[in-house]
Amino acid sequence: MAFLEVNDLVKDFGGVVANNHVSFQIDQGEIIGLIGPNGAGKTTLFNCVVGYHKPDSGKVIFKEKEITGFKPFMTNREGIGRTFQIMKVTAGMTVLENVMVGAFCRTDDRNLAKVEAAAILGFLGLDSLRAYHLNELPIASQKKVGLARALATQPELLMLDEVASGLNPKETEEMVDLLKKIHRDKRITLFLIEHVMEVVMPISQRVIVLDGGEKIAEGLPKEIVKNERVIKAYLGEKYAKSL
Amino acid sequence: MIVLDALLQGILMGLLFALVALGLTIIFGMMDIVNFAHGEFLMIGMYTAYWTSLLLHIDPLITLPASAIVGMVLGLASYYWLVKYLLRGPMIAQLFGTFGLMLFLRYLAQFLFGIDYRIVQKGLLVGKSLTVGPFIFDWTKLSAAILSLIAFLLVYLLLHRTKLGKALRATALNREAANYMGIKTERMNALAWMIGGGTVGIAGGLIVNFWYVYPTVGLLFVMIAFASVAMGGFGSIKGAFFAGILIGMIEMLFPVFGHVIGSDFLGPHFKFTLVYFAYFVIVVFRPQGLFGWKH
Amino acid sequence: METLRDAFDFRDFSKPEKVGFVIFTLFLLVFPWLGAGSFVKAVVIQFLLFSLFGMGWNTIGGYGGQVELGKAQYVGIGAYTVALAMVWWKIPFWVSMPIGVLIALGYSFIIGYPLFRLKGHYFAIATICTSLVLQDIFINWKLVGAAKGIELPIHEHPDFLYMQFKSDTYYFYFIMALFYVAIFYMNWFRKSKLGYQLRMIKEDEEAAESLGIDARWCKIKAYSIASAFVAVGGGFLAVYNLYIDPYSVMDLDLSIKIALMAMLGGAGSMWGPIIGSAFLVPLDRFLGSWLGAHKGLIGVDFMIYSALIMIVSAYQPRGIWGIIEQFRKR
Repeated sequence: MAFLEVNDLVKDFGGVVANNHVSFQIDQGEIIGLIGPNGAGKTTLFNCVVGYHKPDSGKVIFKEKEITGFKPFMTNREGIGRTFQIMKVTAGMTVLENVMVGAFCRTDDRNLAKVEAAAILGFLGLDSLRAYHLNELPIASQKKVGLARALATQPELLMLDEVASGLNPKETEEMVDLLKKIHRDKRITLFLIEHVMEVVMPISQRVIVLDGGEKIAEGLPKEIVKNERVIKAYLGEKYAKSL
Repeated sequence: MIVLDALLQGILMGLLFALVALGLTIIFGMMDIVNFAHGEFLMIGMYTAYWTSLLLHIDPLITLPASAIVGMVLGLASYYWLVKYLLRGPMIAQLFGTFGLMLFLRYLAQFLFGIDYRIVQKGLLVGKSLTVGPFIFDWTKLSAAILSLIAFLLVYLLLHRTKLGKALRATALNREAANYMGIKTERMNALAWMIGGGTVGIAGGLIVNFWYVYPTVGLLFVMIAFASVAMGGFGSIKGAFFAGILIGMIEMLFPVFGHVIGSDFLGPHFKFTLVYFAYFVIVVFRPQGLFGWKH
Repeated sequence: METLRDAFDFRDFSKPEKVGFVIFTLFLLVFPWLGAGSFVKAVVIQFLLFSLFGMGWNTIGGYGGQVELGKAQYVGIGAYTVALAMVWWKIPFWVSMPIGVLIALGYSFIIGYPLFRLKGHYFAIATICTSLVLQDIFINWKLVGAAKGIELPIHEHPDFLYMQFKSDTYYFYFIMALFYVAIFYMNWFRKSKLGYQLRMIKEDEEAAESLGIDARWCKIKAYSIASAFVAVGGGFLAVYNLYIDPYSVMDLDLSIKIALMAMLGGAGSMWGPIIGSAFLVPLDRFLGSWLGAHKGLIGVDFMIYSALIMIVSAYQPRGIWGIIEQFRKR
């Protein structure tokens, strides 16, 4: 039985079909990459799963429970955590407090939440940032805090929206290592949305490709890079330009 | 017949409500700011018309340019001295900022003119009425409604037919893109406040012909304007027009309805309560406005 | 137990805050014996009352970041419940006040449920509308005295059950007790799960939802807590003034003042509402009585007051507490 199952999902924004009958499955413990050019419908698909959009038709099933149309806080309580591509950078709460809010999802006890949050910050190597506010941090650290916050809710599936955007190659490498660590030590299934193929290829065990709202390919990374349709739809624009 | 009469009277009143709501919706569409002082702009427009006509011994209807100019200056001054700074802060600061402006203008008026209720007593049209078949229209209301319609059309044309209007609407749609195309967005903001102030000033000059003016008169009208803008969809000009008329009709029909069924709880006291209630229901169940237009 | 410990635990405050708090408490305790005139006493009582209102508002408005401008309706519910219960059935204050709070709680859930579908300006204006509708109903409702309001029967002898005293001192200690209950509550609240969740909602509602927080439900809860606070103050107002009408306890101006004091002092901080009230209430009263005595200067007090509002909104939206913190950071 699949861990996460998306069945025949359709999302239509007033005539613009963002997702057209998309289906796929994820098994527990996998690292899956979802790629596609700009406007392929990746973010919409993502939002339909975590509950920011309600799909027009189709089903989302998580751990054998249908969660189609659940609100974001409900999907989170089911065990799906997420990060944001662009975080709102605010000055109202410290890093520790941010992560504590995540931990409060599973406990009512403040001290427990604090211990939990501190542990996660330690796990991600963010101990030194505890007292800072988000607006005082560089982008790479902000993204890690977003990751820590989501991890604090103890998800079984972590959905990552463009974790590498805005990062330089070195920071990207660090982030990839961190994701591997999360996957290895916490045994959390990862689902990455990436625009940049170079990020997703080295860590994904399987890749799903969207284009024009439809799933055009699915398979091992090394198969995907050779897939004609993918090259045409995705890499095509890039190569066409360079030629 | 009584219903038809109420409907027609309601349309006349509604045209004025629409003009009041126009400035509010333009400013909101431009920069997502709700101007709480809008009703006080109206009150100042009313006082301007009242005093110029009284002191210069001219008909209150001719004082409209004065009201318009005072309204525009007020709008500009508010923008450059207050709103510009408020825009940098959080929404709560914006709300309180314009709220402070509202209180300031209200008590300034009270300080200058006292709390007396004043009304224009002399004038070409005051007290005269037009009889069309069974219907009797006050000339003051009729002319105010017509002039309000004209003002509304002029602003509509300004926004939709001129280059300036296009720049204004472009800024409202996408501030950054407008900025890249060389539109001075700050100036567009100021312009929105100027048009907003000017139109509501005119509305004040028209309303004072048949309505008492006193320092707190603005609250009632601004709540009606909020309701109109909410019904029409925040930022929509067409929406504000039709919603204003609709509210005018509700306001006139409601007492008639109450009278017919003989209920005290539907008495004239509650006609504005209904407007507030309508606002609440509409924004809760149809946040995009009654007509669903988006700006 | 944990809750109680949190409420009385002020250890995480800085030293100047702790010292200030102790001095302030001592001052309040001896205040009635300092020989202040009845006007000054009334001002201090009003300061405590508005601090109570402000702390209530601070839960939803400050920590939750929702621009709530309809608190006056809950002052009205609290005040009318106490007044009507006393006039109609001679129910003592100590029974009617909790009933008023319960009614306010129930009403706030009913109103809050549709209200918190809204956000931003829509929400702010809608809160005003709900308050105006209730005020209009009371203005026209003959059974509850309509626009004339209600006078509470004055007892010949001081009566603790009905909270009627000859001397302001008793009222002072009573509102002071409520004020401290509110402080301890807020001290717990800011450290509670709900407090953290509300702050997250204020920071970034989308992110808060992704962390398993039911934002709408959290806001409704905070709104109801705020309403309960305010209804307690409303009940006090009824026995203190012995007269209420829809204009004095349900006016839009009252809603604004409540929110404004909290914001001016510093919304979302522990001391903000108290500082704001300590600043604005005396200003309001002294300016009012001083300028009111001069004919022709009516309204100038409000002009100064509103100019202050504009300046603070434009330059330091985080209020007086924001300014203090800015200086402390240097």
